[in-house]
Amino acid sequence: MLGRRGTLPLLAGPPLLWLAFLFVAPLVMIAAFSLREGSGAVGASEAWAPSTEHYQDVLGTPAFMRLLGVSVLMALGIAGLATVLAYPVAYFLTFRAESRAPFYLTLLLIPFAVSYLLRVMAWKLMLGPEGGINSLLTTLGVTDEPIQLLLYSRPAVIITLVYVWIPFAALPIYAAMQRIDRHHLEAAADLGAGPWARFWRVTVPLSLPGALATFFMVFIPTVGEYVTPALVGGADGIMYGNIILGFFTRSANWPLGSAMAMIMLVLTLVLVAVGLRLINVRRAST
Amino acid sequence: MRTLSSPRMPAVLVSLCVLLAACGTQQGTPPGASAPASDGDSPAPTAGAAAEPDELLVLEWSGYEEEDFWTDFASAHPDTEVSFEFGDTDANILALMQGGSQADIFHFYTGWQQFYVDGSLVQEIDTSKLENWDKVPAEYQELGQIDGKQYFVPWDWGFTSILYNTDEVDEVTSWDALFNEEYAGHISMWNDGPGAVAVSSYINGWDETNLTDDQLAQIEDDWIKQKPLNSFYWTGEYVDLCPAVQDGTVWVAYAWQGCYATALAAGDPVAYANPEEGRNSWVGLYGISAESDSPELALEFLDMKLAEASCGNAVTLFYYGCANGDVMAAIDDPILIEAFGINDPSILESTNFTPLVTEEQREAWTGLWERVQAE
Repeated sequence: MLGRRGTLPLLAGPPLLWLAFLFVAPLVMIAAFSLREGSGAVGASEAWAPSTEHYQDVLGTPAFMRLLGVSVLMALGIAGLATVLAYPVAYFLTFRAESRAPFYLTLLLIPFAVSYLLRVMAWKLMLGPEGGINSLLTTLGVTDEPIQLLLYSRPAVIITLVYVWIPFAALPIYAAMQRIDRHHLEAAADLGAGPWARFWRVTVPLSLPGALATFFMVFIPTVGEYVTPALVGGADGIMYGNIILGFFTRSANWPLGSAMAMIMLVLTLVLVAVGLRLINVRRAST
Repeated sequence: MRTLSSPRMPAVLVSLCVLLAACGTQQGTPPGASAPASDGDSPAPTAGAAAEPDELLVLEWSGYEEEDFWTDFASAHPDTEVSFEFGDTDANILALMQGGSQADIFHFYTGWQQFYVDGSLVQEIDTSKLENWDKVPAEYQELGQIDGKQYFVPWDWGFTSILYNTDEVDEVTSWDALFNEEYAGHISMWNDGPGAVAVSSYINGWDETNLTDDQLAQIEDDWIKQKPLNSFYWTGEYVDLCPAVQDGTVWVAYAWQGCYATALAAGDPVAYANPEEGRNSWVGLYGISAESDSPELALEFLDMKLAEASCGNAVTLFYYGCANGDVMAAIDDPILIEAFGINDPSILESTNFTPLVTEEQREAWTGLWERVQAE
């Protein structure tokens, strides 16, 4: 039998290799591209001279910085909304569904059987002038004619992304709630705590790590989101990720796109670090 | 700064005139929508092609992967695996090729030829091996030449102009309809910097190949102000533009005539403007990658794209012009005649042909557009 020294490389090796080739290496390449002089698409074998010109370009273009700020705010809002809306779902699965929890969990996961793109396209139909929401509003007499701004707008991006994230968002909270020792709730009840007090004083604090994990799990990828804004955002709903995509595709300027991506990555990491630090400080103080 | 060479500009004009004149004077059976592959016309695979991998990767624009566009080759090579990867602008196609795409064949549009030759991304074509080459007007053939060498095969062509909803919009006579606040929320511009710069140049009467920094700044400012008027920037003619035109979301759009013909055929209230500044015209070109493992097979693919059935399908099913003069001469469908402006002898006199783009212009124009997007 392999000893501990033998099993560790065996177990850790494949995932580390996977990460090294498919995560670290591309990240290093992006960082290298971002420091390359000139524009164009970059063949990996070509020689290049280091330069910070693209970082200067990005940081010196107010439109890019404003859009990055808007994208961060949108991501914060979407992550907050998705977490808040997913929380009751996870609560229901943990404390109310009982023996039918696996069935409801399956229902929750069914959307994943449909491609992400199709789910977003479905929202494009829902939000369109002849879509379900506008049809309902006009049928009920709430509006005389379809609301054009439902689709191709920033709210459309937020609605769609919140919808897309909710099933994902519920899972970490559900996992955290399942780990709550029911004896804590019973003890709280024995000590005279009502349902609301038990929820606020026991369930919420103990499920908070899951909720925070959910928040960051949604926030981080949403900052760089580009598919949903491209499909339902229209001219006004564009996010920072769409501009990065633009520099890699229609504008064929990989170095500038790489610099934008690196700036976004650093900012996101800083925000997450600050967020985690604030949370730790608060928890430590209580 | 390199511009379209003076002999080439009238060459395109003459070529289009020849094709359109032929269309207007000759009556014949249009290439059928379900036309069979040109059975007897399809050349047998060459010995060189037989020694190559029996697969092709084509870097295409979305929609062109439809087998109707290469039906002759599909019939002649039923066992050849033809797969596609996609780009959505000329800059995107160039970026993919520069970035090491494994495509054997790539498709782009006039203005971008020089980049592929300068970057050694394309190989010279031996036109003596193309059985359908003599059906391509000489002026079209010249579009695929750089320094006297044939690098590209011309294939599709068409116009760019303003497509508009006649129920919602008064007659459009200028490109500035894209900037008309009256149609706010119902305008759609193509998501492309060079296209935006061309439109602004037409409106302002500027030479797009010789823009000053001030003019570029003015163009950027104009498109930033125009941004809120758009419903969305479209990227795929049939994917997002046409459905939005047909469901009434978009009233005024920068468009190719394919979408116009589609909407017209569906009975939608649309018109395709003849702006006082002139339409834009473009020609699609195919090149064979310098790194292709299957150059002979790629050559056969391009040859058979020029054959009657494939070219005919491009015209009748997708409403694009095709470089096969015989196919264009056979058009008698009123919708196609309208789409190509065949009955308007003055249409080409005021048409703006896409000039060759320099690296400096490419970078400036695309960067400008990204800043507009970000605002």
